[in-house]
Amino acid sequence: MRESTQDKTGDELRGTRLASPIPRPDFSLIDTGGSEFNFHARTDGYATLLFFGYTNCPDVCPVHMANIAAALGRVGWRTRQRVKVVFVTTDPDRDTPERIREWLDRFDSSFIGLHGTTAEVAAVQAELKLPRSVMPHDTTGDYDVGHAAQVLAFSPSGPAIVAYPFGTRQADWVHDLPLLVQ
Amino acid sequence: MAWDWTWRPYVGVWILVLLMAAGYTQLVRYGGGWRNAGWRWGSFLTGLGVLWVGLDWPIGALAAGYLASVHMVQFLLVGLIAPVLLLLGIPEPTYERFRGHSTLRRVLTRVTHPLVTIVAFNIILVFTHWPTIVDTLMASQAGSFAIDMLWLFGGTLFWWPLVSPVPTRPGFTYPLKLVYLIANTILSTAPFLYLTFSQLPVYATYELAPPVGWITKQQDQQLAGILMKLGGGLVLWTAITVLFFQWYRAEGQP
Repeated sequence: MRESTQDKTGDELRGTRLASPIPRPDFSLIDTGGSEFNFHARTDGYATLLFFGYTNCPDVCPVHMANIAAALGRVGWRTRQRVKVVFVTTDPDRDTPERIREWLDRFDSSFIGLHGTTAEVAAVQAELKLPRSVMPHDTTGDYDVGHAAQVLAFSPSGPAIVAYPFGTRQADWVHDLPLLVQ
Repeated sequence: MAWDWTWRPYVGVWILVLLMAAGYTQLVRYGGGWRNAGWRWGSFLTGLGVLWVGLDWPIGALAAGYLASVHMVQFLLVGLIAPVLLLLGIPEPTYERFRGHSTLRRVLTRVTHPLVTIVAFNIILVFTHWPTIVDTLMASQAGSFAIDMLWLFGGTLFWWPLVSPVPTRPGFTYPLKLVYLIANTILSTAPFLYLTFSQLPVYATYELAPPVGWITKQQDQQLAGILMKLGGGLVLWTAITVLFFQWYRAEGQP
């Protein structure tokens, strides 16, 4: 893993330290149940993993989701209860709320899926200093969406200070999740 | 890159198979021609076919970067099954001509001693399944090919004292041959346990690979361990059974 960062206990986190902490954003999108989901209010108090991806992603997205889900299955119940995983689609045309729910349920039914317009998601990504997702010119048929590959980790009551790039392994998640919830 | 079932040519494999076929033709000629090959050319052809299947698409592709379980199937084909068939395919007159070369005979005497071959095979087995080694070598085509060739070499060494009449080993009796094979079924238990019962995926290559179907990484790894044990066991116990009946027949003759 890259350079590590310490949590409050002094133990080393295996994620990548962010250049500057990112405050927990206050945005609202539609969840897979069709209701408005305010990210700040609904995740405050939880270690929150936020990821931007799409369900037709061939590799990064399913690997991230699968590894996080597997790691949550390995950590203790107390840790698991204090973690929320939020997936925001970068492909709103194909990723309907129903499609997002079906896809996330294959990994973990507790994962939260959010849907918004391209402009709404782009605004959130800009606030988080993430690169804007890139759609191809031709969106008929199969296509890939360029998107940030890292998972942002917000501490229960604070900003995000660490990110997890693609390549983060289950062992890293199992190590870091108990530290993130503290 | 996501896995898809579109066929892709593996020209390097085809070249290897052709070179081995050409090499076999030379070995047959060296042993006095095709009439001396008898049924053995069929064994060589089958072994070559097994090797080809194990290295070519789709097994080669899936094993190289997607599924640990298919990587294990590849090991069984390339490292255990193909070598014994290839060795059985060499005509006896060819082996006997090996005996006539003193240098070759001396080398074979040392290198194919049963103690050497069983240790070498298991060192290669452990080395080529060590996570750091796998993740390093599988990252490139050359590294992946190196693993395949190590398996083929290790398997050839392993089967040599059982299959080849050269050098003559009167002390390597049927009971000892059976012990040799049974010992190997026990020695392969360690990698099986490691893969099957590890709490987390051990190979980054497969953990971070695009998913294939909905098998989880953990399930894939466990399947790899089980295939190693059951598949390897099937091959070895088949050989044990064959040798046992050969021994039985030999004991029955005056």
